[in-house]
Amino acid sequence: MKRGKGMKFVGDSRVTADKKKFIPKDYSEFPGRTEAFWPNYLLKEWLVGAVFIIGFLCLTIAHPAPLEKMADPTDTSYLPLPDWYFLFLYQLLKYKFASAQFFVLGAIVIPGLAFGGLLLAPFLDRGKERRPHKRPIATGLMILSFIAVFWLTYEASAHVDWEEKAENNKPELPDDQPTVEIDESDPGYALYEENSCINCHGGDLTGGGAAPGLIGMEHGVDEIKDIAVNGVGQMPADQFQGTEEELQQLADFIVSVNEQAAEEE
Amino acid sequence: MLQKIYDWIDDRVDITPLWRDIADHEVPEHVNPAHHFSAFVYCFGGLTFFVTVIQILSGMFLTMYYVPDIENAWRSVYYLQTEVAHGQIVRGMHHWGASVVIVMLFLHTLRVFFQGAYKKPRELNWMVGVLLFFVMLALGLTGYLLPWDNKAYFATVVTLEIAEGVPVIGEMTKTLLNGDPSIVGAQTLARFFAIHVFFLPAALFVLMGIHFIMIRKQGISGPL
Amino acid sequence: MSEKKQPVSRRQFLNYSLTGVGGFMAASMLAPMVRFAIDPVLEATSGSEMHAVVDVSEITTEPQRFDWTVNQVDAWYTSDVTKSAWVYKDENDEIVALSPTCKHLGCAVSWASNPDYPEEFFCPCHEGRYYKSGLNVPDTPPNAALDLFEYEVKDGTLHLGNIVENTVQEGGA
Repeated sequence: MKRGKGMKFVGDSRVTADKKKFIPKDYSEFPGRTEAFWPNYLLKEWLVGAVFIIGFLCLTIAHPAPLEKMADPTDTSYLPLPDWYFLFLYQLLKYKFASAQFFVLGAIVIPGLAFGGLLLAPFLDRGKERRPHKRPIATGLMILSFIAVFWLTYEASAHVDWEEKAENNKPELPDDQPTVEIDESDPGYALYEENSCINCHGGDLTGGGAAPGLIGMEHGVDEIKDIAVNGVGQMPADQFQGTEEELQQLADFIVSVNEQAAEEE
Repeated sequence: MLQKIYDWIDDRVDITPLWRDIADHEVPEHVNPAHHFSAFVYCFGGLTFFVTVIQILSGMFLTMYYVPDIENAWRSVYYLQTEVAHGQIVRGMHHWGASVVIVMLFLHTLRVFFQGAYKKPRELNWMVGVLLFFVMLALGLTGYLLPWDNKAYFATVVTLEIAEGVPVIGEMTKTLLNGDPSIVGAQTLARFFAIHVFFLPAALFVLMGIHFIMIRKQGISGPL
Repeated sequence: MSEKKQPVSRRQFLNYSLTGVGGFMAASMLAPMVRFAIDPVLEATSGSEMHAVVDVSEITTEPQRFDWTVNQVDAWYTSDVTKSAWVYKDENDEIVALSPTCKHLGCAVSWASNPDYPEEFFCPCHEGRYYKSGLNVPDTPPNAALDLFEYEVKDGTLHLGNIVENTVQEGGA
């Protein structure tokens, strides 16, 4: 390239005015079976990419991205699990040597050492030798950590019933449950309050952390009476402490709220 | 016509050297799967980049519908998945892409590690690569809070607990990420959204730029 | 194009293939995303829905403003939106329901709100004016007449629906 005196520029810019015609490099300039990046090698890479994206699109169409229920901080039955690539850390924290008083060891020191070691690998493994079997410590440590991560991930996921988890957490629009104005002067509501139903099922009968909502149920009057006395699922028996007449009133009240809800839908 | 437009621009800005530098470098035989099938291991880095491009594009399009707000985040995701044409596919691309990119990164890292390609003079590039790995993991972590479903919420609670366990700076780190010392809610979602969409991608672009420039400078490591 | 038939060189062939494969990758990646983004444009507009507004007996020959509430579903956000119209009976006893949205820049007009123009709709933003028929007064900012609501009378109640263009030409009060 020309330098110094006699150089011409486009206007007052630093772009040189005398352009040389561009001639692509001859293939013979590349020694051996080396080839040009553009277009020879890139074409091969892009063919791999094209095959890859077909497979990738098939995956996205065959397996829709999962979406669970809208976040409900009061849902105590939910088993929280991170994405699969964090499962190994999640599992590590389950072990005795990595939890409780050793929490810092499990959450900070072990992952810190592993990732720090990875980051500083070039300074820990300083030999000139590149072949894996000539540097057994580096290779061995990597294989060990790989096995450990793989095994921890497997351990974490093997005990989870993924299908059931997905089944219990199907997305549904939260306002599927209609809000109903509850007649708080109803004698049934007073019983609902007195018999501590309200503590779990909530003042608006929509449920809470420990108990489901009472709106949109399939139960009839007799079933409700039975549940109030004998309990169901996690609900203990003998919640209801009133007379038979009051029980009838309570059940009628709950059913009436349900009917009201059904009308508004 | 196109040629004339190109020449007009080239006269003024001299763009030819920029792209010829990328196009004209030679690729050695030992990384070319056409000569040695085992050279397919060199594809993982490229595929990682490809999935990253998919992630960036699908993420950009997803934000056309998504809102980072605890009342509406889940609803907007549900809406775009059920009501918008191809919403299922675009969210699917972003969701599965997040997993695939981790797999590809993992394979790429293993390839470089077992070949000892991180040795002199490529130490710096290895470190930038490991930082890229961290950024990707952080993107995954912040990304799965965004739909605000049960999984998002509870997994984030656990993550924040772990952050809190760090000695000395734990409390501060947690509050910094969470936006509030105790409530995981509106501020958390807003913060995670900002981190996922602006801060981490910015770091990702810078690191990727450095990674690629160093590859061009140093060339690919020789055969074993 | 050269007249001589030139064989495609190896480099040219590779470049064409490269463009093809690259195009395929870009297309398969972007096709679902672009369709996703332009979905609102392609979505068919929902059919007209009539909403009860006011008892016909309340409508006079003087334009009055009536409000009604519509349950509006805006993608994932459902809300009650108040709409309003200027409604009167014209000389033929036909009901006219005008949209209050100024055709200039979308401010809200109101009847006889400016003492200088007692028999006109007036828009305070840029002093746009409309005759009673909704026709814009020449030489004021708006360049079209106020839009009309589709209407029907059911059981003595006025129902209003979609907005339609007002084709009124001349006249008005």
